[in-house]
Amino acid sequence: MKNFAYVRANSVEDAISRTTNDRQAMFIAGGTNLVDRLKVFLDEPSQLVDVSRLEMKQIERTNEGGLKIGALVTNTDLANHIEVRRNYPLLSRAILAGASQQIRNMATVGGNLMQRTRCPYYYDTAFPCNKRQLNTGCPAATGINRIHAILGASESCVAVNPSDMSVAMAALDATVEVQGMQGKREIPLIDFHRLPGNTPDRDTNLEPGELITAVILPPLSFAKSGVYLKLRDRASYAFALVSVATALEVAGEQIKNARVALGGVAHKPWRAMEAEEFLIGKAANNKSNFEQAAEIALKDAKTLAHNGFKVELSKRAIRRALTVSAQGGGIV
Amino acid sequence: MNQVIGKSVNRKDGRAKVTGQATYGAEHQIPNLVHGYLVTATIANGSIRNIDTQQAAATPGVIAVFTHKNPPKIFKPTNNWMTSKIYEARLPLSDNKIHYAGQIVGLVVADTFERARDAAHQIKIEYETHSPQINAQKANYQQATSIFGEDMEYLAGEFETGDISVSGAATVEAIYTTETEIHSPMEPHALVAHWDNNDSVTIYEPTQWVKGSQRTYAELCGVPQEQVRIVSPYIGGAFGCKAFPWSHGVLCVAAAREIKRPLKVVVSRRQMTANTGHRSQTEQTIRLAANKDGKLRAIKHIAKSCTSPVEVFPEPCTGITPVIYATPNMHLKQEIAVLNVGTPTFMRAPGENPGMFALESAMDELAWELNIDPVELRLRNETKEHQRTKLPFSAKHFAECLKIGAEKFGWSDRQMQPRSQQQGELLVGWGMAAAAFPALRNRAEAKIRLLPDGIAHVLTSANDVGTGAYTVIAMTAAETLGLPVENIRVELGDSIMPNGGMAGGSQMTATLTPAVLTACQKVLETAKAQNAKEAFANLRESGLTAYEATASSAPGEEGKKFAFNSWGAHFCEVTVDEEIARLRVTRWVSVINIGRVLNSKTAASQIRGGVIMGIGQALMEECHFDPNIGYPVVYDLATYHFPAHADIPRIEVSFVGEPDLNFNPMGARGCGEIGITGVAAAVTNAVYHATGKRIRSLPITPDKLL
Repeated sequence: MKNFAYVRANSVEDAISRTTNDRQAMFIAGGTNLVDRLKVFLDEPSQLVDVSRLEMKQIERTNEGGLKIGALVTNTDLANHIEVRRNYPLLSRAILAGASQQIRNMATVGGNLMQRTRCPYYYDTAFPCNKRQLNTGCPAATGINRIHAILGASESCVAVNPSDMSVAMAALDATVEVQGMQGKREIPLIDFHRLPGNTPDRDTNLEPGELITAVILPPLSFAKSGVYLKLRDRASYAFALVSVATALEVAGEQIKNARVALGGVAHKPWRAMEAEEFLIGKAANNKSNFEQAAEIALKDAKTLAHNGFKVELSKRAIRRALTVSAQGGGIV
Repeated sequence: MNQVIGKSVNRKDGRAKVTGQATYGAEHQIPNLVHGYLVTATIANGSIRNIDTQQAAATPGVIAVFTHKNPPKIFKPTNNWMTSKIYEARLPLSDNKIHYAGQIVGLVVADTFERARDAAHQIKIEYETHSPQINAQKANYQQATSIFGEDMEYLAGEFETGDISVSGAATVEAIYTTETEIHSPMEPHALVAHWDNNDSVTIYEPTQWVKGSQRTYAELCGVPQEQVRIVSPYIGGAFGCKAFPWSHGVLCVAAAREIKRPLKVVVSRRQMTANTGHRSQTEQTIRLAANKDGKLRAIKHIAKSCTSPVEVFPEPCTGITPVIYATPNMHLKQEIAVLNVGTPTFMRAPGENPGMFALESAMDELAWELNIDPVELRLRNETKEHQRTKLPFSAKHFAECLKIGAEKFGWSDRQMQPRSQQQGELLVGWGMAAAAFPALRNRAEAKIRLLPDGIAHVLTSANDVGTGAYTVIAMTAAETLGLPVENIRVELGDSIMPNGGMAGGSQMTATLTPAVLTACQKVLETAKAQNAKEAFANLRESGLTAYEATASSAPGEEGKKFAFNSWGAHFCEVTVDEEIARLRVTRWVSVINIGRVLNSKTAASQIRGGVIMGIGQALMEECHFDPNIGYPVVYDLATYHFPAHADIPRIEVSFVGEPDLNFNPMGARGCGEIGITGVAAAVTNAVYHATGKRIRSLPITPDKLL
């Protein structure tokens, strides 16, 4: 492990200027993923800029009636926040479905968005990996790929984004507020993470030096119908094989609005917009509509040797989650 | 007698463990200690063409770099399973050949762990790579012999006379598979080796067999046994993977001698997936033929497992088959193939565990075929004698396990048809299976000292791998001496103490407690006292510093008269949310027959631990090797799944039967492994009852339920 400097940023501007001037510098907050990666030589920063003591720990109501969540709010605090539990229950449940209590106590919202894939080929420098080093190859594509992507993957990378929180935020139309030397800008959460393409080394559209300062949730009148369904190999403390975040606005028996996002299936949280559009105007009490929506959401799925089951599992998860959302939401 | 045996007694070592006072192998603080980090192969088959250590050696803090070009001196051991054994016959760094990914190809020693690891990462290796054999389906299988060299094929009845068309009113035949599992103890493999003047060494290492380890390291170092001391007071889980030295231990001890500094080597979690053992994947074919009344006519059980290129270890799946049920015709066969993977070894109920998954699944299939209740089918096939040795079983209460288990579970309420029980949207299934494990016992020795302050001090080299040995030893001494358990001090896990035997094969309690009992009786004789109170009075009067006695205890001729085995039955409930392929185990009842239960609390914990590990095997445990590169694609305790609390229901454990006094003076058989046997079959049998789907390939991950 290369030696690195540790510096504590005294302001957002200070943090940004340090990482803008040094491309090898990295931010650290909770460190729940980054420290693990440092230990196994996945990242070799010149300096760690500790942002954990900066302000950005507030959850505030926005003028529009949504929430602005500081980037340093811990996963635990966000999941347990009364407004989140009341108005965005699916976000709370998604966070609580991830990691362990100890990890959630340390992990921050910004860090959660920045966590990297747990693809075992990426995680061990004994394997070649395009994400670690471009043009070295992707052994996962021809290896053991049971947990890998079925949507949006490329020849160079079949890894999946591991976050639960991001899937809920994708469904909730969240926006990521970032700040760089040029000032602040907002990126819709569904455009924050990237598909791998030929540049799987880049997970996000953050520019060098940019720091996540907040996540903004717009008000969503039907957020209470939210469901987060996570399917995995054990009941707790495992990444999703497939997860689904849904919400439905139903008037009478008719669907007025829909949200469907998938996790565990792509290099980014996957918003199934076409399936959402299909649902609008359809009957909420007819399960075949949900089946068709699931078919639409997965129509472009491409499978590898071991992950074919994810297509069917995703469809069933969508069907179930939408059924529960149609009944007003809840825990599955 | 204050009658503590059989009571529920808290662990004597519990407080030390939860407060961090218990010192594990690599936690021993030694002045001038330096750190070793292993360099491991990134290919699975081939050889090292060139290994460049220049940059690593020049890194600040680096003290030495060992590779096959400059290995530390290691002497060849006799390598016999009974006396001195290393897990892998090939000595580390003995040549440039690579047999599996993760094989040790170097050791970097530095003043800090971080510097050693950093330098190890800078070593550049050029390989000559050959395509590895990783695929068990395409491997070349041959007839296996046991680790003691015995033929593993057995033919009886019509199989022996060549008529192999044995059939009955009902016949079931199927193939069952289990995946590679890794032991994953909480305490990683780690040791400290501390040489004194190049001729004697103290090794702080978790080991299930202190005296065996002492002999083996002595041979590896070319020094007399007395010049090796093994210190192993606490072990954070072993399950079979800490019985003998692995290559990292051999290398650590030899390297410490060369560098003349105490040396610590800790194997990383990642490295542990590849080079410190696993349970081989298995493929088993079982054919059962039965009469209309369910009586077995024939059992045919053919098992395949894999080993590494550097050691032969067959997973002995068929060993338990002639124990459980009576049948006139039997064919057992074991095959083995070599893969370019690390060396497999013992893992909790080696052989019995996968073997009983297959056998107890097949029995369930037969029960459905015959439309006989699976509990009843087992009762009808019970045997009073071992089918191979023809010896009668001693103190056997298998039928009671089945009947009492059924009653406690409420089995009679079971709807016979699959998919017939529901709870809202969930399908509910009930399943059961037998548990069985042989009762083993060996020779052991213990020393006892009565001290003037009213304390009885028990010393033996045996150790506590987390099972509760400290506590049952104290209870045995307390009972025999008439003292409270608090007045017994137990010291374990040091080779300077009398030979306490091995913590393996569920034999520690049965082996050691008779020696403790005898030593206590002997020390009272020495003190000319009826009980400890009198002995302490005599001691004070005599002015002596202590009364001491050492005694040994060993099996006699009883093994020629009886077959000794433990028994049990598991009953479980599962729920299946079929649409989303979500399976949960929701209820568990185990009834176990292990002779006398010495400590009802730790014994029940052992059974629970076995059941939990079995549920892990049933639902999630699997270590895949990359088909092209050969390296495991799990890398830590988060990616190699075993149960979290949320996966485990309340596990109700009870015991039946009287003390097995034919077996040993305590009447106690072991209970470390029996708990895991049959568990996976009970789960898959319940899944069949819930869904009508027979899962013959473990683990039952969600994809298999779609």
